[in-house]
Amino acid sequence: MNPSDLMRLARGPLFYFALLFFIAGMLYRLTRVVGFGWKKDLTKPKKSKIAGSLLAFVKSVIIWPFIPRVEGSLKRNLVAYFAGGLFHLALFLVVFLGAAHMLVWKSLLGFGWPTLPLPVVDWLAAAGIVALLVLFINRLVNPVLRTISHAAEYLNLLFVFLPMLTGFFLTHHLLLPYEAMFALHVLSVDWLLIWIPLSRISHFVFYFFSKAIYGAEFARRGAQP
Amino acid sequence: MPERETIYEVLQKRGVTRRDFLKMTILLTGALGLEYSQVERVRVALETKPRVPVIWLEFQDCAGCTESISRSQNPTLTSLVLNDLTIEYHETLMAAAGFQAEGAKEAAMEQYYGEYVLVVEGSIPQGAGGVYCTVGGRTALDILRETAEGAFAVIAVGNCASFGGLPKASPNPTDAVGVMELVTDKPVINIPGCPAIPEAMTNTIAHIIALGSIPELDYLKRPMAFYSHTIHDRCLRRGFYEAGLFADSFGDEGYRKGYCLYKLGCKGPTTYNACSSLKWNGGTSFPVESGHPCLGCSEPNFWDNGGFYQGQSAPLQRPEVSVVGIAAGAGVVLGAGAAALNASAKKKAREQAKAASHQKEEEKEE
Repeated sequence: MNPSDLMRLARGPLFYFALLFFIAGMLYRLTRVVGFGWKKDLTKPKKSKIAGSLLAFVKSVIIWPFIPRVEGSLKRNLVAYFAGGLFHLALFLVVFLGAAHMLVWKSLLGFGWPTLPLPVVDWLAAAGIVALLVLFINRLVNPVLRTISHAAEYLNLLFVFLPMLTGFFLTHHLLLPYEAMFALHVLSVDWLLIWIPLSRISHFVFYFFSKAIYGAEFARRGAQP
Repeated sequence: MPERETIYEVLQKRGVTRRDFLKMTILLTGALGLEYSQVERVRVALETKPRVPVIWLEFQDCAGCTESISRSQNPTLTSLVLNDLTIEYHETLMAAAGFQAEGAKEAAMEQYYGEYVLVVEGSIPQGAGGVYCTVGGRTALDILRETAEGAFAVIAVGNCASFGGLPKASPNPTDAVGVMELVTDKPVINIPGCPAIPEAMTNTIAHIIALGSIPELDYLKRPMAFYSHTIHDRCLRRGFYEAGLFADSFGDEGYRKGYCLYKLGCKGPTTYNACSSLKWNGGTSFPVESGHPCLGCSEPNFWDNGGFYQGQSAPLQRPEVSVVGIAAGAGVVLGAGAAALNASAKKKAREQAKAASHQKEEEKEE
């Protein structure tokens, strides 16, 4: 099989299967978690639970990632805060505002949006890769993180690292011919789509749910979420 | 067997002067991508090597590559390669037809066994024993096998002969394939494109004739001289790509300003060909320059590599809404099933705990 055939396989049937697995897998996880249920709320909430949810939601997306005001988050692990923040920011911007990525979304959703210039995307991608490496080293060095890290945590890092690295190599024409690297990039993404519902990378959905639920709980008790 | 005429002798007979011959040598050296210091090598080769004939076969094709080569804007080289030196048999270009033409081909095959260059245009159907394409009552499959046997090398021109092209497009009703899938015991050179660039064809033929060797090829057997860079690499709109300036639709402001056509489905980044450097019609223009995204016509499976106007990076298939619905439904049902199992386990555990505490109380009372 030559790189051109591999690219076709990766972009065609493998992506198709991976995407459907991802959709089914994430909905399975979500339904299962929602199905755990929670205790009946017999007390009268002190503040609006919906407002609390929304506030927590907004804070979790807009404020906490960018303004390090939460007590202890800086003191406990400065590296995790900054490298983690940079990694997530870079990943989101590259995945949604890179021209090639936008075209993937466009082909799936039917509509597109403006994109960032290539050099900007390129620097963000490089920053994301470096941040991920820093997070990996931090996980090895930090005694607490090391204790709670098992194979799954390191595999998470690896499976996210592979699409980022192959994507970077791809745009810079490094190591392999363009279409071979393109094929590897898409293959690694296909695998990531399958891996996400099976792993804690599914936090990209659950993060928002837990923030909203904690927000409601805080509001019920009259605290500031 | 009498000693065969050298290329120079053939040219002399046609009235080419020594001065013109030397000019031709220099032109050919340049066309082969060799340094000026190699002129001498090419001159010696042309003076000493015997003329090498070319047999040009057409199968499932549109003769577009023949049209392309006959419109080459480098008349001296084309004439040198096509008229003076080489073509012994070409169904579209030759005046002869019928059994006499076939007879001439067979005579050439016999006389130049092991030396002639075979050029194939068009894909070869394998379905139903190959009956979808026959010439003089014989299948393309049969003719190719027979003609390739005595060839020094086989050159597949155009996407059809190289990778199957349009006839191979899904569902490939004739089970068409390119030459390299059938000819495995000879050097095969692919010059893909729809059509192939005339200079890529003439120069590759000239390389074999003048140097007697196969040019350097990539993993898809394409000459590196023409297929080592993508359209994107040498594109005149590349600067706009880097700057993130794109045309979003045909005729919009970005399009009128000549911005990058990547978002209109340009396949330039994954298409290896010399269009953006050699260009067409004597260096006049090429598709991207004249305002159309690259279709990727020199790549394998180019008809099935996603829509022409779909992004180059986009997945080949978009799942139907109904299929996504089924996947989503399956996820929800499985999730609900798991939740129900969890709930029943929870209930059971609660009942057991209740029973246990009840029992404890009863024991206490006793």
